[in-house]
Amino acid sequence: MNPGTFLVIDDSKLHHQMYHLIFSRSELTGSRLLHAYDGREGYELFMAHPELTLVFLDLNMPVMNGLEFLHRRQAEGMHPQVPVVLVTTESTAEDEARGLEAGAWGYLCKPFAPEQLLALVGRASSRLSQRIAHP
Amino acid sequence: MTGPEHPFAALLAEYVAECLPLAEEVVEGALALERAWQEGQSADELFGPLKGTLHTIKGNSAMMGLAGLQNLAHRLEDLWGVLAADPASRDAGAPLFVRGTGLLADLVRGTASGPPPEGAAADYLEEVEAFLASERGAREAAREERRSPDRRTSDRRNPKAGGEVGADGAVATIRVDSRRLDALLESFGEAMIAHAGLGEAMRQLNRRRGTTGELTQLERAMLGLDRTLKRLESALMETRLLPISTVFSRFTRLVRDVAHSEGKRVRLEVAGGETRLDKTVIDRLGEPLVHLITNAVTHGIEPPEERESRGKPAEAVITLRAVQRSDRVILTVTDDGRGLDPEAILRKARALGQAPAVEAPSLAEIFALAFLPGLSTAQRVSQHSGRGVGLDVVASSIRALSGNVSVGSEPGRGTTFLLRLPLTVAVLRSLLVEVDTERYALPLVDVAETVRVLPETLYQVARQGMMTWRGEVIPVMDGGLLLGGGAAESRRYCVVLRSAARHRGVMVDSLLGHHEVVVKALDPSLGRPPAVAAATILGDGRVACILDTGRLADGWVEPVAAAAP
Repeated sequence: MNPGTFLVIDDSKLHHQMYHLIFSRSELTGSRLLHAYDGREGYELFMAHPELTLVFLDLNMPVMNGLEFLHRRQAEGMHPQVPVVLVTTESTAEDEARGLEAGAWGYLCKPFAPEQLLALVGRASSRLSQRIAHP
Repeated sequence: MTGPEHPFAALLAEYVAECLPLAEEVVEGALALERAWQEGQSADELFGPLKGTLHTIKGNSAMMGLAGLQNLAHRLEDLWGVLAADPASRDAGAPLFVRGTGLLADLVRGTASGPPPEGAAADYLEEVEAFLASERGAREAAREERRSPDRRTSDRRNPKAGGEVGADGAVATIRVDSRRLDALLESFGEAMIAHAGLGEAMRQLNRRRGTTGELTQLERAMLGLDRTLKRLESALMETRLLPISTVFSRFTRLVRDVAHSEGKRVRLEVAGGETRLDKTVIDRLGEPLVHLITNAVTHGIEPPEERESRGKPAEAVITLRAVQRSDRVILTVTDDGRGLDPEAILRKARALGQAPAVEAPSLAEIFALAFLPGLSTAQRVSQHSGRGVGLDVVASSIRALSGNVSVGSEPGRGTTFLLRLPLTVAVLRSLLVEVDTERYALPLVDVAETVRVLPETLYQVARQGMMTWRGEVIPVMDGGLLLGGGAAESRRYCVVLRSAARHRGVMVDSLLGHHEVVVKALDPSLGRPPAVAAATILGDGRVACILDTGRLADGWVEPVAAAAP
């Protein structure tokens, strides 16, 4: 697994720090982390960075939520090669299906351990474009 | 718990910095909600943000490994769900919710100096658990909740949408304008009448032509229709039933306000809020209950000093209880105040020329007089009870619902009002009788028994009879006289009516059996004949009067000599 460029879209500052902590303590250290605090800000960054390795997208956010982000991306066909992982606190099979339909590559369910996040990144970078089981 | 080994232990300060303002926001929101509810506003706009904020706190706590906080936030979300879905739960639930948000903020604040100890909110969580279980029980009992009890399903509720989505993604419940339900009921009533007409025509045909193959087929089809209509009726009734807690919930505040302005200390206790009644009954029950409860606080309950001097607790208790008994609901309003004064009631009744017929009336008979118009024994007019709210008003509004009301009291110990209400209002289970070739329906709720009367067991006294029934001497009245016709000694059947004070009988020519009749309100321009409550259309198309059994019983105050064989 090589360092890359990651976009974190989450309205919680705390979560950004968590991502930072996880990345800095792993083999991904040296990766570039881009931070956005709502969906719209995130989408602007997303458009500007076709080289992204992976996007972590929180589901519940102000301004533009995770699903709205995915729908817009789908409608605009923006960077389909970049995997987007939807991050939720509690999700049902239905939520998950809706997210996958809207083009999410995978799911990450809070609370997650650093290892779970890293495993997901590993699978994404090996470009296994398949649905990921609930961590 | 976040130990030093936890991957995010270093972020505790950041956690507090982010979550404390959120927790404080939740506290503010919960307080604002409680205030709004107390003022009778729905405050729906406060709901959404509160839920989102709680969700964020839960997520953050979970990531930090702060299981206690995660759990507390989670339970508060559950509580939020109940409060959002069921306004009746708010009286008890809102203070619990407010307390929990305060606890949440305290725990988050404390996390700055380390994760909260395990079990920090255990007592509170237990309380919430009990509350949620009782709410769940009430809801399940009310069978309101048709969808899966899966908690996560309820998280998906969207109070703004017209429906709820079940686990399979299909719409499981929808909201319907209650006027549509009323229209549906009206049409169902017409179908019932048409059905009865069809049945009657078939019997005629049978009588004239004898049984034929076609008739047998018709009969079979009728039986099927019969069953379908029965099912339709119960399904329709089911959709109209609401838990009585929807009216109960507003009385806590009423009691507090009235007690406060009267300088009294009163607590309201409620039981059986999950009991269900037809929406129409619920709608029309509020007013009489407000009268009864206000009366209890202003007149029934003594000032605290007086209570203490009588060895009672300074704080009085009013209990509102509902229970279902077969096809009716019994509602009681009980206070532990001074009780009714039988002497005063008797004096007033005599002054009004309404003295009871018997020489030594029983307490029950005296208390029944309390429902006579103009008989209010209150010594002063208070701001809340005023003059206009006599018990006769309460009695007539309950009777308008085909129910009845009675009162029991023990001087010095308290008073209980007992309301019997039908579960449904549109279809009335009645006894059909014939008097002078006219048919009448009597609500079965009020019929204690029907008996065949032998002439030698009936004693005529001034055109009114007395008879012995189950060891009790009861007054009996001729049905013809009662309904504006003449008396006839040939009547052999007696319908014994239930009454608050004493059973009474009505003599009729014949009994035609039990029927479910569709209640049709009387045209107001006709006025209201004294003994008639409403009308119905029978199978043969004839209109029959539904008798106001409660009023009939109460109207009987003409002198009847003491029972004497």
